[in-house]
Amino acid sequence: MEKDILIEVKNLTKHFPITSGLFIQKQVAQVKAVDGVTFSIRRGETLGLVGESGCGKTTVGKCILQLHRATSGEVWFEGRDLCRLSDKELRSVRRKLQIIFQDPYESLDPRFTAADIIGEAMRIHDTNHGAAYQERIAELLRIVGLAPYMAERYPHEFSGGQRQRLGVARALALEPSFIVCDEPVSALDVSIQAQMINLLEDLQDRFSISYLFIAHDLSVVRHISDRVAVMYLGKVAEISARDELYRNPLHPYTQALLSAVPIPDPAVEAKRAPIILKGEVPSPINPPSGCVFHPRCPRAFEPCPTVVPALGDAGDGHMVSCLLHPPSWPTGRTPASSGLNAQA
Amino acid sequence: MTTLLQVHNLSTYFYTQDGVVKAVDGVSYHVAKGETIALVGESGCGKTVSALSIVRLIPDPPGKVVSGTVQFNGTNLLTLSTEEIRRVRGAKISMIFQEPMTSLNPVLTIGRQISEALELHRNMDRREALRETVRLLELVGIPHADRRTRDYPHHFSGGMRQRVMIAMAISCRPQLIIADEPTTAVDVTIQAQLLELIRNITRDLDTSIILITHNLGIVARYANRVYVMYAGMIVEHGPSMDIYHDPRHPYTLGLLASVPRLDEPRKTRLVPIEGQPPDLIYPPKGCPFHPRCSYVTPSCMEGFKAELMEVAPGHYSMCWIAREPKPWKKTSS
Repeated sequence: MEKDILIEVKNLTKHFPITSGLFIQKQVAQVKAVDGVTFSIRRGETLGLVGESGCGKTTVGKCILQLHRATSGEVWFEGRDLCRLSDKELRSVRRKLQIIFQDPYESLDPRFTAADIIGEAMRIHDTNHGAAYQERIAELLRIVGLAPYMAERYPHEFSGGQRQRLGVARALALEPSFIVCDEPVSALDVSIQAQMINLLEDLQDRFSISYLFIAHDLSVVRHISDRVAVMYLGKVAEISARDELYRNPLHPYTQALLSAVPIPDPAVEAKRAPIILKGEVPSPINPPSGCVFHPRCPRAFEPCPTVVPALGDAGDGHMVSCLLHPPSWPTGRTPASSGLNAQA
Repeated sequence: MTTLLQVHNLSTYFYTQDGVVKAVDGVSYHVAKGETIALVGESGCGKTVSALSIVRLIPDPPGKVVSGTVQFNGTNLLTLSTEEIRRVRGAKISMIFQEPMTSLNPVLTIGRQISEALELHRNMDRREALRETVRLLELVGIPHADRRTRDYPHHFSGGMRQRVMIAMAISCRPQLIIADEPTTAVDVTIQAQLLELIRNITRDLDTSIILITHNLGIVARYANRVYVMYAGMIVEHGPSMDIYHDPRHPYTLGLLASVPRLDEPRKTRLVPIEGQPPDLIYPPKGCPFHPRCSYVTPSCMEGFKAELMEVAPGHYSMCWIAREPKPWKKTSS
């Protein structure tokens, strides 16, 4: 394994049970929110995680932080598998792993002042006291572009963008090495989004933090990420270095996503035709057989409904899970052995 | 092209405990037959209020249309009686809202909700209306339309609900559709489906659209003309090509610079608009954008007049620097 890998996720699976019955809760089905996800994040790197709502991207983030306990799989951080640690053992690890939430209105306690919010982690982990505590709060406020005199204000006295800055200050308080950014800019106005993205980039340079940047806006993800993973229905469809993925998307789903993003230029738009996918995202309770994307895929062919593609290396670490690409065929089954030729 | 809607000097204020919010302050715009215009701006800039004011859907109190005229096919909608405006709403002007779940009635079936409007505005009897409802649902691409008329809104997914809203909006063949952030609540692939659907259907019926959105990409794809709003005012408007390729207001310029674009080489750093959107109870003196503007001069506060000037044919800007062509290159560092 490479030395500079900070987080390694192996075969992560999270199934949520659906129960029925008033007194005796019987499990009747399960939601396969995350189904065998594998990737790694290097030190100081940003991995963008994109996909549509319900594809499991937030659940992946929460499973890494052990806010959800995974059904199976491993999350390696500093030589330990976080999935196997007890809650007590996790406590010391949690200082280094933080999260920034999407909604700056709901993720801050309205009865806490800014100082209480930012300082909560320091109080819990018992790090700074007295003057050092106050000083650290003032410093954090300055780092995220707020002023120390705002420490005694309540969340409702801040604008949306400022509130999101408070969320960032809270995540930074214990000097983490990894932050899950769960749609940190999608609730903000366009002009404020750019401020936030620049702030996150500055902090990464300054403190060499790794980000898992979860978002559905592909242009924002391209801007901030070093590598990008595309998820669909609980699985990774494609993962690659940023420029490679945007220049040469291999998975038909990635291609459709990219073509669906409108570009803010009428002259460019007049010449583009988006790939319109049929139907909607199927239910993760009863996902389609074979490749989960095949019912909507414009390029689906005979083996897609039966053969489950694996995430395979199509060259230079560009991993894709689509039967159009020979590296995605599961071991023991090849396009030839199935009597078919994969069409490129 | 004939003008369908002409809004002149519209002002809508909200009277709150904290003071008067000038949500819309002297706004004028027009829509030609078959044309799609876009109202663009950030949350709180007045784009929704300026559109809802024309169909008189502003809750009063606290809101009030304090001045202006809205000429629609030659009648001023603001002087109509409640009964008369009701006949316009739904029949001649219809709406598609952002969150379909809050705009559909949860205790009525989809079939009932659509056929009600047909019975009311197109004088159909129940059977006819139901048949037409099925046809409409098929038109917007809902599978098994005849069975689904008996379903309730919660049986539908977000994208399907928005299709129902579209079916409802076109049911009475309106001349104008107000689409308020129609795809903000749905995913990108569904967004592409819905927008193509709206475009194809309205093109066939020659319907005009007021598209309200903050997404500059959607505007570029669908709008003929663009109105950029800031702090309750239209600060710039013109044909889409001009607005995107030769923006003449620093706010428009800032918006376009702050969004990363997929078709361009990745920038090393985004250029945000600094500062926060204004407080509309105490708006800044002079030009509302001056506290955030990088081209600000003393005359932006003192001698400022909220007037749009024609800077190119059909292209208007409120910024006085914009009178010179390509004004930004000179001053920007």
